[in-house]
Amino acid sequence: MLLAFDWSQLAQQTVIGLSSGGTWALLALAIVLIYRSTGVVNFAQGELAMLSTFVAWSLVHHGLSYWGAFFLTIALSFLGGVGIERAVIRPVERAPVLTIVIVTLGLVFVIDGIARWGWSSETRSLPNAFSTRPIDIAGVAFSIQDLGNIAVSLGVVVLLGLLFRYTKLGLALRAAAVNPQESRLLGVRVSWMLALGWGLAAAMGAVSGMLTAPALASFDQNLMQPVLLYALAGAVLGGLESPIGAVVGSLLLGVFVNLVGTYVGWVGNDLRLPVALVIILGVLLVKPSGLFGRTAVRRV
Amino acid sequence: MRAVYWAGALLCALALAAAASGAGTSTPGVSPTEIVIGGTIPLTGVASSFRSVGLGASYYFKYVNAHGGVNHRKIRYIIKDDQYDPALTMDKTRELVEQDHVFAIFNSLGTEHNLATRPYLNAVGVPQLFVGSGGRTFGADYKQYKWTIGYQPNYLAEGTIYGREVAKTTPKASIAVLYQNDDYGNDLLAGLKHGLGKRAKQIVSKQSYNADDPEVRSQIARLKSSKANTLMIFATPQFAIQAYRFAYQLGWKPKVYVNVVASASNVMNLAVLASSKKEVEGSISIVFLKDPSDPRWAKDPGIKLYRAIMKRYKDKGTNVNDVYNVYGMSVAHTFVQALKKAGKSPTRASIMNAATHLTIKNDPFLLPGVVVRTTPNDHFPLDQARLERWHNGHWASFGGLFRVR
Repeated sequence: MLLAFDWSQLAQQTVIGLSSGGTWALLALAIVLIYRSTGVVNFAQGELAMLSTFVAWSLVHHGLSYWGAFFLTIALSFLGGVGIERAVIRPVERAPVLTIVIVTLGLVFVIDGIARWGWSSETRSLPNAFSTRPIDIAGVAFSIQDLGNIAVSLGVVVLLGLLFRYTKLGLALRAAAVNPQESRLLGVRVSWMLALGWGLAAAMGAVSGMLTAPALASFDQNLMQPVLLYALAGAVLGGLESPIGAVVGSLLLGVFVNLVGTYVGWVGNDLRLPVALVIILGVLLVKPSGLFGRTAVRRV
Repeated sequence: MRAVYWAGALLCALALAAAASGAGTSTPGVSPTEIVIGGTIPLTGVASSFRSVGLGASYYFKYVNAHGGVNHRKIRYIIKDDQYDPALTMDKTRELVEQDHVFAIFNSLGTEHNLATRPYLNAVGVPQLFVGSGGRTFGADYKQYKWTIGYQPNYLAEGTIYGREVAKTTPKASIAVLYQNDDYGNDLLAGLKHGLGKRAKQIVSKQSYNADDPEVRSQIARLKSSKANTLMIFATPQFAIQAYRFAYQLGWKPKVYVNVVASASNVMNLAVLASSKKEVEGSISIVFLKDPSDPRWAKDPGIKLYRAIMKRYKDKGTNVNDVYNVYGMSVAHTFVQALKKAGKSPTRASIMNAATHLTIKNDPFLLPGVVVRTTPNDHFPLDQARLERWHNGHWASFGGLFRVR
């Protein structure tokens, strides 16, 4: 029985899981980023990423080179994120977290509406940043793209680590999120820090959208809806506070969901999504801070 | 509260009675100058790429109206947006029947959506004409639902065509199937088995997917590991494109059959972009409409008419090369023919009678030779198609017409 086991199938499904997880990790990072800098989970993060992807598509179709469009979209998304915070979040800045979360839920519909109003709903595609040509090693196939998405997410983790740990700006961002009152007393411009947090998360969202769309081969306005749930599950699993947690959590989730889908008959292809939900629930019950998060300690 | 409840019930009963008695004296939706029909279309929401099915039909009616209408009556086609949500389909269909007093429901889109409204429309005796779904039940269960009739070749028939083609041309094929885990995917799979007959055991692996999932790569890897040499893609465009991409990314080059839902030329071109020219080359699908982007039809009178109508009536942002517009015009053309047959003062009974006695040989939007044919015992207007092969960026049809039920 053991001899008949198809080891290359196991390896292949693991690689595919890592690749899917690598894509989810990009959005999970955006979620973590905004959580860290504003203390709120932004449910519109996926839709923002989708909108950025459409902007990138339009730029490419107006003749910009792929990388030109890539960086211009990141810049525009940053400004957009700041703008949204100023226009929509600021009026409820001091309201309870629940209020802000509900505002972000409202944003989901608004942004979706904008994307449907601005672009037709036909299926379209964005050029690949990385090669998708198959590379075969011992019967396991993968491509540069699979490695590329994971590499980008790890690169972002390093950048965020540097930002949060070694810069004054990072310190101010963290302080504003953790303790706005005291930060204000210490001269941190809390309100602008929140806007900056939104801008950074929107920029990260743009990266995630522009790399997810080619990884999924085509896209329309529904691009990020299915991804958001897995990304949230990955972020919660790794710890909402921790960028490296978001990446590791997403990769683990990708592998887990694939292997369960392949080898546990009754889960199969139909119950993959519920498995992700069960993981969110389980982590929140057993270890709310996730694998890499620290339990929040607050001096009173 | 109680009073409100009873008042509501009374209103419903009145509305039902009004709708049911409509046929008696004057037919709802029919005036000396106008025929009012309506239907639901996902103008917005997840399935809004199918909006052209409704819009294409509306352009054709505008064209017919500009040329005098039918028996001096203009056709007013009310499209309600159901956002592809069956609950909304029900609400909007009720509105059409009870407030807009439509003559008939026409070209409403979606399998579950038409299933949701079918019992109601049959209870109040409103024709549910030319349903926009390949669900077999809309043609097959006419004894129970006599006010309902389908239109396009049904999914079971489509699957059967592929099964027969495989059995005929590659009898030793080992077959892998990717299918959506709902009625649509299951009908195609059942049809495939039916067409393969005793070769159905050559289906070595079948993997379903959930339309809410982001990707089908894991499924494609499992299908590949079954060592199949033939792949059936019974999936919507986005997942069909992924199937090509991931097969390519896994270094798998099976012979591909792709269902008509995903075989529009623009989708195939995206599949080429997502994988490689070689991966998509030689794919097989079925066809019953003239594809406006196919150079074969550039000088065809039907497609010339189509282009003229589009040029005159289309909304901004409508893609002229979208084959769903052609579908919409074809189903509208069929309705117009049925209406002509239904007499000078059409009733709901007479349009139903006309819709079940059709022989339309000259539909300009259908492939040459495809006939719209119905009888009281045959509620499948379109049951013919040809096979087509993707070659050098275009579909080319081959072989004769298949007729499958």
